Amino acid sequence: MAQSVVDAPVKKRSKYLESPWPESILMVVVLILCYIALAFISFGAETPPGGMSGGRIFMLLFGFFFLSFVIALVAVVAGIGGGVLFTPILLAFTSLDSLIVRATGLIVAMFSGLISTGPFMRGGLANLRICVFCAAAYGVGAFTGAQGAIYVAKYLGATGEGIVRLALGGILIGLATFFIVGGKKIEWPEVKKIDGFTKKLKLGLPYYEPSLKKVMHYPLTRAWQTLCAIVGVGMLSGFFGLGAGWAIVPAQNLIMAVPLKVAAANSGVLLGMGDCVAVWPYLLMGAIIPLFAAPWLVGQVLGGLLGAQILIRIKAGFVRLILIGIMFFTSFGLVCKGLNLLGVMGEVPMAVNGGVFAGIMIIVVRGVIKQIKSGG
Amino acid sequence: MEEKLKMPVSQKLYGEFIYWVTVVSAIICMVGPVIAMLSVENNVMNPHYFFAEIFAGKSAAEVWQTVGGGFPGGHFYLKHPFTGDGFTQFGLALGCMCAIPALIAAAIGYLRQKPKVYLYAILCVWVTIMVAVSAVGIMKAH
Repeated sequence: MAQSVVDAPVKKRSKYLESPWPESILMVVVLILCYIALAFISFGAETPPGGMSGGRIFMLLFGFFFLSFVIALVAVVAGIGGGVLFTPILLAFTSLDSLIVRATGLIVAMFSGLISTGPFMRGGLANLRICVFCAAAYGVGAFTGAQGAIYVAKYLGATGEGIVRLALGGILIGLATFFIVGGKKIEWPEVKKIDGFTKKLKLGLPYYEPSLKKVMHYPLTRAWQTLCAIVGVGMLSGFFGLGAGWAIVPAQNLIMAVPLKVAAANSGVLLGMGDCVAVWPYLLMGAIIPLFAAPWLVGQVLGGLLGAQILIRIKAGFVRLILIGIMFFTSFGLVCKGLNLLGVMGEVPMAVNGGVFAGIMIIVVRGVIKQIKSGG
Repeated sequence: MEEKLKMPVSQKLYGEFIYWVTVVSAIICMVGPVIAMLSVENNVMNPHYFFAEIFAGKSAAEVWQTVGGGFPGGHFYLKHPFTGDGFTQFGLALGCMCAIPALIAAAIGYLRQKPKVYLYAILCVWVTIMVAVSAVGIMKAH
C-alpha cells in the first residue's frame, strides 16, 4: 500500500496527556459542574400551576444521563450499538410516543458511533474507504427508513404504534437468538476469489494487530452484494431508530470478508456517518426534543469513551449473557405492549412482568456462574 | 520496539474532525439544560410543562403545539441561539452535521494524496451531499 509507511518509534508520554484523557477529564468536570448548578437551580425553582416540579425535572435529566451512560457502557463492552438497548427498553416500559423514542434512539445509536470514530481512525482499525463505500448505500436506506417511520406515525395512529412495537419485539427475539447461536462470524475470513469490481475499488488498508504483533493485510470480495445488504440494514436502522451494528458487522464479515475486529470498528464509524443522514428528517419535524435528547447524547459520549477503555481491560463474555437476558425481557414487554395497543389483550399485571423478569434473570445468572467457573 | 502504521491523511482528518466536533457537541448539550432551567421563560418550550406532556404520551407535534405554540423548525436555534433549548438544539445539530466538514476534509485528503484517489473523494462528496440535503430538508417524502 502506497499510503502506509512505517513511522519511526516515538518516545512515550504520560497516557493522561494523550487523547482521550484530557477531553474526557474536561467533559467530566463540566458535567459535574453542570449537574451541581442544575440541582441548585431546579430544586429552588417555583413550580408553575399544572407544570412539573424543578426537582422532578432534575431527577429526570440526571436519570436519563445515568441510564444512557450505563447503556453505552454495556453496549460498548458487549460490542453493539446503544440504540439496540435504548429504543426497545423505552418503547416496552414507558408510555412515551414511539416516534420521540425512535428519533432519540437514533441520536443514541449515532453518538456512540461518532465518539468511537476518532480512536478507530487514528489506530487504523477502521477503514475509511470501506466506511464511505458502505455509507453511500447506508445513508440512502436509513433516510428511506426514517421517512417510513414518520409516515407510519402520521397515518396509522395507535395501530401503527402497536405494529411498530410488535415488529421490534420480533426483531429483538431474532437478534437475541442470533447472539446465542453466535452466527458464523469468522475472525479472519478466507478469500478464495476476488471479483473484478471489488479489485477495482482498492478497499484494503493494512492495520497493526497488537495481539499478533504484526501488520495485517486483508483481501476483500463481493463488494456489490455487500452494498445491497447495507441498503436493507440502513432501512431497518432508520425506521426503528436502532443502531445496526448487529447487522453491519456480519454483512461485512460474511459477505465482504472483512476481518471481525475491523468490521466491528467500521460498524461504529459507519453508524455515525450514515445516521447523520437519517437523523435529520426527525430533527426537522420536531421528533427530537432538545432538552429530552441532550442527556441521552451526553451519556452516550461519556459512556462510550469509558466503555472503550474498559473493553481493553476486561473479558466481556458474561456481559453478552446479561445483554441477551435484557433483550428477551424487553421483547416480552414489546410484544405485550404491541398487542395491548392493537386491542388484542389487556395490560400485563406487574406480577407477571416480575415473574418473567425473575425467570430470565435466573437463567442468565446460571449462565454467568457457569462461564466464570469455566474461566470465560 | 512497537511499529505503528502511518494512517492515510484522509482517514486521520476524518477521525479527528468527527471526534472533536462530537466532544464540543456533548459539552454544549451539558450546558444547554442549565441555561434552560436558569430562566425557564427564556425557552421555546417551558421545561416545567413539556416534560409533563412527553410523559403523558403526547406526540412530538402535540407537545410543540401545546407548550411552544407550534414547532418552530429544526433549525430554530438560528432564531433563538441564546435560549436554553435553542442552545441545546444547536449542540444536537452540530453533532448531527459533523460528518459534513469531516467528509469534505477527507475528500481533500484523497485528492492531495499521490496518486490522487478520485473514487473515494467522489464518494465522500456524495455522502456529504446526502447529509447536507437531509439537513436542509430538501429531501422530504411527505
